[in-house]
Amino acid sequence: MHKNPLLRGMTQARYGRRDMLKFSAMAAAGYGLAACGVSGQKQKAVAEEDFWQGKKETGSLTFANWPLYIDPKRTQLKQFTKATGISVDYREDVQDIAAFAGKLQPQLANGDYTGYDLIVLTNGLELARFLALGYLAPLDHEQMPNFTKNLGQSYRDNSYDPGNKHTAPYASGITGIAYNPKYVDREITSIADLWDPKFKGKVGMMSDPQEIANFGLLLNGVEPAESTKKDWQAAADKLMKQRDDGIVRSYYAQDFVQPLTNGDVWLTMAWSGDIYQQNAEAGTDLKFVVPEEGATIWTDLMCIPTTSKAAVDSLKLIDFLYRPEIAAGLTEYITYIPPVPKAQDILRAQAQQASGAERKDLEQLVESPLVFPTDEDYSRLHNYVSIEPGKENSFTSVFHAVTQA
Amino acid sequence: MRRKLTPYLLALPGWAWLAMFFVVPIAGMVSLSLTSGNVITGFYQTFNVGNYLDAITLYSEQLVRSLLYGLGATLICIVIGYPAAYWIAFHGGKHKSTYLLLILLPFFVSFVLRTISWKFTLSDNGVVLGTLKSIGLLPADFAVLNTAPAVVLGLAYNFLPFMVLPIYAVLERMDHRVVEAAHDLYASKLQAFLRVVLPISLPGVFAGGLMTFIPTTADYVNASVLGGPGNTMIGSIVQTQYLVNNDYPIAAAITFVLMGVLLIGIFSYARALGTERVMEVQAK
Amino acid sequence: MTATTEAPATTVAEPSTAAVPAISLTGVTKTFQSSRESFTAVGGLDLDIESGEFFSLLGPSGCGKTTTMRMIAGFEEPTTGVVRLDGTDVTDVAPNHRDVNMVFQSYALFPHLSVADNVAFGLKRKRVGKAETDRRVAEMLELVELGGQAKRKPSQLSGGQRQRVALARALVNQPRALLLDEPLAALDLKLRQAMQMELKRIQRDVGITFVYVTHDQGEALTMSDRIAVMNEGYVEQLGTPAEIYEHPATRFVAEFIGTSNLLTGTAAATTSDGTDVRLDCGQHVLVAERLSEGTQVDITVRPEKIQLSTEPPDASLSRVRGTVADTVYLGSSTHYTVRLDDDTEIVVFQQNDRDLSAADAVAGRGSDVWLSWRLSHSYLLPS
Repeated sequence: MHKNPLLRGMTQARYGRRDMLKFSAMAAAGYGLAACGVSGQKQKAVAEEDFWQGKKETGSLTFANWPLYIDPKRTQLKQFTKATGISVDYREDVQDIAAFAGKLQPQLANGDYTGYDLIVLTNGLELARFLALGYLAPLDHEQMPNFTKNLGQSYRDNSYDPGNKHTAPYASGITGIAYNPKYVDREITSIADLWDPKFKGKVGMMSDPQEIANFGLLLNGVEPAESTKKDWQAAADKLMKQRDDGIVRSYYAQDFVQPLTNGDVWLTMAWSGDIYQQNAEAGTDLKFVVPEEGATIWTDLMCIPTTSKAAVDSLKLIDFLYRPEIAAGLTEYITYIPPVPKAQDILRAQAQQASGAERKDLEQLVESPLVFPTDEDYSRLHNYVSIEPGKENSFTSVFHAVTQA
Repeated sequence: MRRKLTPYLLALPGWAWLAMFFVVPIAGMVSLSLTSGNVITGFYQTFNVGNYLDAITLYSEQLVRSLLYGLGATLICIVIGYPAAYWIAFHGGKHKSTYLLLILLPFFVSFVLRTISWKFTLSDNGVVLGTLKSIGLLPADFAVLNTAPAVVLGLAYNFLPFMVLPIYAVLERMDHRVVEAAHDLYASKLQAFLRVVLPISLPGVFAGGLMTFIPTTADYVNASVLGGPGNTMIGSIVQTQYLVNNDYPIAAAITFVLMGVLLIGIFSYARALGTERVMEVQAK
Repeated sequence: MTATTEAPATTVAEPSTAAVPAISLTGVTKTFQSSRESFTAVGGLDLDIESGEFFSLLGPSGCGKTTTMRMIAGFEEPTTGVVRLDGTDVTDVAPNHRDVNMVFQSYALFPHLSVADNVAFGLKRKRVGKAETDRRVAEMLELVELGGQAKRKPSQLSGGQRQRVALARALVNQPRALLLDEPLAALDLKLRQAMQMELKRIQRDVGITFVYVTHDQGEALTMSDRIAVMNEGYVEQLGTPAEIYEHPATRFVAEFIGTSNLLTGTAAATTSDGTDVRLDCGQHVLVAERLSEGTQVDITVRPEKIQLSTEPPDASLSRVRGTVADTVYLGSSTHYTVRLDDDTEIVVFQQNDRDLSAADAVAGRGSDVWLSWRLSHSYLLPS
């Protein structure tokens, strides 16, 4: 029912938009900064009560999210509108978190409306910065019964936003290793395989400093969350050796699926859901593994900018997406990890009622450790290195030296 | 008095436009490039020239590489674009505009999509390499994608019309009888080209060179899509510093270093070609 | 020294005792083929141009004169026929190997080169030494009175100056023949007249064969030693300016060159002096030729040969009566338009060498006048 390879497989268009956005974001950011000066970036922190004081429902909101992060019919949003009467202008404007955050930054620094009432950010440098700068509204948990009830335990004790004061997870994913068994004739089990000279010129790595840092650190047996500058340098040295030995074919921002399918790279760092989707739609047999050294888990988070014009509506939508049956429907399409554990039960029940190919698909989804990791799986998953906002450069420069030589 | 003022008044919107979209941002960026601080504390004007020193010392390799890639792409554009422009201008007949349209046709598609499509074309087992490999013309491990030649070729491909159009414009405008005049004055076809057509068309080559060299040098999409490790261009560095690191001062400083290098390059290029002559022919 | 309108194969150049012609075209035709149609620009041409003469190809646009010149220069290849320079067949020789030079209508100066470098272009290609080149360029610039402009660019010169650079650039090579394609067309009237004299002077000075293409009959008559009048790809008449003007061989030539009056009629009777022709208007005129009775004839008379009078002229002259329909006073002369009974109009140029008021009184509008001319001044055209 959601299998529409044409619509979901338009990965080219996706890269295209991402790159174009980077460009326009740079231009916009450049003009905004240059024209307005840049001294006062920080906004005053707002107390929860003060923020929600006098805020009313407006009947509509604009939501910026990644492409392919809801089915093309926007089923869950339609259900939301039907239930609440609030219409949603859904924009697939988040093509690259850094670019997206970079575009919003000058507007938020000025206290201007960004055009979005609800946005998605990944737990990483940009989120930390937005939190430190006071750009994100505090969430009123009292108005979010489904959220407080259904949010999975592992999301409650997180380090990026303790107590989920400003963010609500949308979906999580794993950065692991994907490989194409057409070219790789053995089972890939470890990060060290990415350094195997046998795969010289056929290995893909990610260009994002946080992503690649984690793999370097995990290879060295260092827990990313507790890593020091010394550990970063040691990890970077490993990564540089890998590059200088000619093993790395390319550092990918996010477009690793096509080269992996084509055989330009044989194994690569990859996001779980992308591989799952590609196999489901293109009929490929790409393998995804969580390496024995560990892998990275990241979470895309819904946040309300302080300048949002429809904060109440946004809050309602967040909470709506935490209804288990809604979360289940969303998961069925996006194939990333839902923050609502109950979604698994609902999907399992649906699988039992279904038949034939649909049943097989659903069963596969429900049993997949990539979509519903077990506690044991979770124990092998690590967060990104966390960096104090404003000091990012001390971290990123170490790894940009690897990827941007 | 009023009559004397009129031309200036007419130019006012132009000046206002320039001031708003060129002078103010540039001035703002210059000021920004001399600040210290970070995005959390804010950036404060300290006339920190160190940003420029960092820009040069840390990224000279990418800067030089960008200039070389830009130069390579420009030369390829001349080698491919000049004959194309020449053929259309002199032998295009009634269908000149059709041929020009054909040159421009790929550019109706978005820049990024075009570059992405190259990725498929140049893939190790794709249409081109796959075929050549299967008939044994290339070794199995031969690759173009994610190499410097891929980046340079991608740049040349993406900016070819910027070379073809100015050259075409000059050749088209040229009195074609001068070629006959050269033949009449005992010049062979090659001599007529070298002594007459080429010198007259130099302003077009000059303009095309600028319009190709500047954007190719500053480009980052081709390098990030078609390049591999060690092919990073300066544009990507600026982008990273701006958007990922939020280090606005260094990003601005790199931009001005690039601008400075390009300007120096352009002036020496203009001098080498003889701008005075170039302008004269153009004015005619 | 012959030109005909007949099919090329049947005509061969007359044997000449004179030297070999500088340029000789034999049986030359040119047909342009395009995918849809073919167009015959030159239908058949036999032409000898003598060494040292000022030869004009005269005709309306599209008559084939420019194509003919371009075939001599080598820019067009004849479809059939042979082009010879000094007796040597050059039909297949490229323009850069032909010892002729051309002055283009647009001048086609090299915009990137100075005046001196423009002029030196041909000599450099022929690898003439530098000293020799400089000397000849300087000399040639003096000849065309551009000595002070050597370092200028063509864009800095006036139209007349550019024209002279183009001339110098071609002449400096001392070609066997100089081909000029309407070189004065872009100049204004006064400059054009001055340049006509100038060109003639230069041609006399250098003694090179000039082949001059023009549609301006005045220019051709003024400058040429001989003229070939062309029409629709054929030569209508070839001769000296006086021959062509005084004895137009065809109706086309009569009408194209100068102003002609055309009278049509039928031979009525032969007399001792010639033939009495009854014009269509009913009046009778005499012609010198003897014609058999009933022959249809076209008689042509130049306006300046006709005398206008109120008294009946001498009966030995050709004479007709008419009414003055219009007069145009031009200072040195007055142009009258005289209407015959059948509305045929005859143009008459009268020099104002008589007392003006008297003449005016005689020939005011509406007055009845006699027109007369000597028998030798009227010509019969082949019908």
